[in-house]
Amino acid sequence: MYTRRFSIAVPIFLSMYVLQEAIISQFRLPGGGFSLLLIFALTWAVMSEPEVAAVIGFAAGFLMDLSQSAAGPFGQWTLIMLLAGYAISYIGYGDDNVHANAIGIVFFVVVANLLIEIAYVVTSALLGVSSGSFVQIVITLVGMSVWALLVSPIMLPVFTRLHATVFDSRSVI
Amino acid sequence: MRNGGRARLLLVILIVTSLFLITLDLRGVKVIDGFRQGTQTIMTPFQRAGNVVLTPVKNFFSDVTHLGRTRKQIEKLEAENANLKQKLINRKNADAQLKQLKNILDLAGSAGYKIVNSKVISHGSSQSFSQTLTIDSGSNAGITKNMTVLSQSGIAGVVKDVYPNSSLIQLATDPGFRIGARIAGTQQIGILSGRGTGSASLQLLDNSTTVKVGDVLLSRGSIANRPFVPGVPLGVVTSVDNSAGAVAQTAIIRYYTNFSALGVVAVVIGRSASDPGDSLVPVKPRVTPIPTVTIFVTPSPSPTK
Repeated sequence: MYTRRFSIAVPIFLSMYVLQEAIISQFRLPGGGFSLLLIFALTWAVMSEPEVAAVIGFAAGFLMDLSQSAAGPFGQWTLIMLLAGYAISYIGYGDDNVHANAIGIVFFVVVANLLIEIAYVVTSALLGVSSGSFVQIVITLVGMSVWALLVSPIMLPVFTRLHATVFDSRSVI
Repeated sequence: MRNGGRARLLLVILIVTSLFLITLDLRGVKVIDGFRQGTQTIMTPFQRAGNVVLTPVKNFFSDVTHLGRTRKQIEKLEAENANLKQKLINRKNADAQLKQLKNILDLAGSAGYKIVNSKVISHGSSQSFSQTLTIDSGSNAGITKNMTVLSQSGIAGVVKDVYPNSSLIQLATDPGFRIGARIAGTQQIGILSGRGTGSASLQLLDNSTTVKVGDVLLSRGSIANRPFVPGVPLGVVTSVDNSAGAVAQTAIIRYYTNFSALGVVAVVIGRSASDPGDSLVPVKPRVTPIPTVTIFVTPSPSPTK
């Protein structure tokens, strides 16, 4: 069962990474744009068990660290995403108001997206990586949250379908 | 209970792995750099393909956002030649890049820089609050880390990472970007820092020197020209902070480069032995005087009927 999940999930993650780096990064969107991989990972994390969400966060964070635009040390995104994945799932898992409700998922994804970016700024400051002026950071945080709010409802059906393909109990059938 | 224990163990293993990666990177272990280099090498063809496919889409959105400018341009083209209009619209992107390239060559030629011209194939995501872009030339073209990158108007950034067929450029707008600057005409020096926007902040090093609005800044140059060659136009002073308690003056600078329209850049891989000095200071636009029309009226001796 794990082999099947792994073999399907890996190409999906890699596809999201390639889409982000080769397509979405081509556009210089106002307000900092959005990270498809981040929204994807958070959506999956909301819908998964905490330990699975932690692995999802770890994988997404690892890919984000591989990105050429990652300014911090390798592993910074991995650590943040791992903890965020676990936390978001721990809070929301088992609550049907969250993971069985589209509005709940979008709300969790947008809030988590904002908190993750704040965590990134804070840890960057601790590690000595400059993130820009306060005003610029606030603009980027607000811009990214707005983009996440716009993109996550559009992508939600695709992401949930992919989640169902990987994690549904088809092996039982 | 058993499941809870396994979950905790998994979480601990993943956290330790993350911290292990951070430690390795901060200690400068080459394997970690290899990860990023390998990934970028793999991603370069995808980014090139994405750039080719998305250029018409980007042009469309650019036209929509700059509607007034585009309309004026189209009107001008229509007036010139109806047949050429269609060709020019189709080739607008190529022409814009050609213009940028010509200006870059003029700039580099004036200063005696040896350059490698490159096309921008990707803009870095802002998720990490960094401002970067990727160009389609790398170590195979003679580019190495810490080389100056020029736009058609002046500084664009510095080479941050190099891969065989692509390079990552840290833009001059990046909050982590620092460059030694001097004011053209004088030898006053300071440190210019990116602010994440199209402007930068200048911190003078000497409290006895002054800077004023309109002053032009040039790069000071680094030892062995790495990372910065001297004499590159940086920008113009737009405001000066004269706070009484400040150790030295600070100022806000507007870069000459339009970072949102970078299509072609040049990486300086060598330069002539002589310092270009102030020769690259952009010429201020000359105001053409409007001719005055004088009409002489002589009153007639008798009123007309």
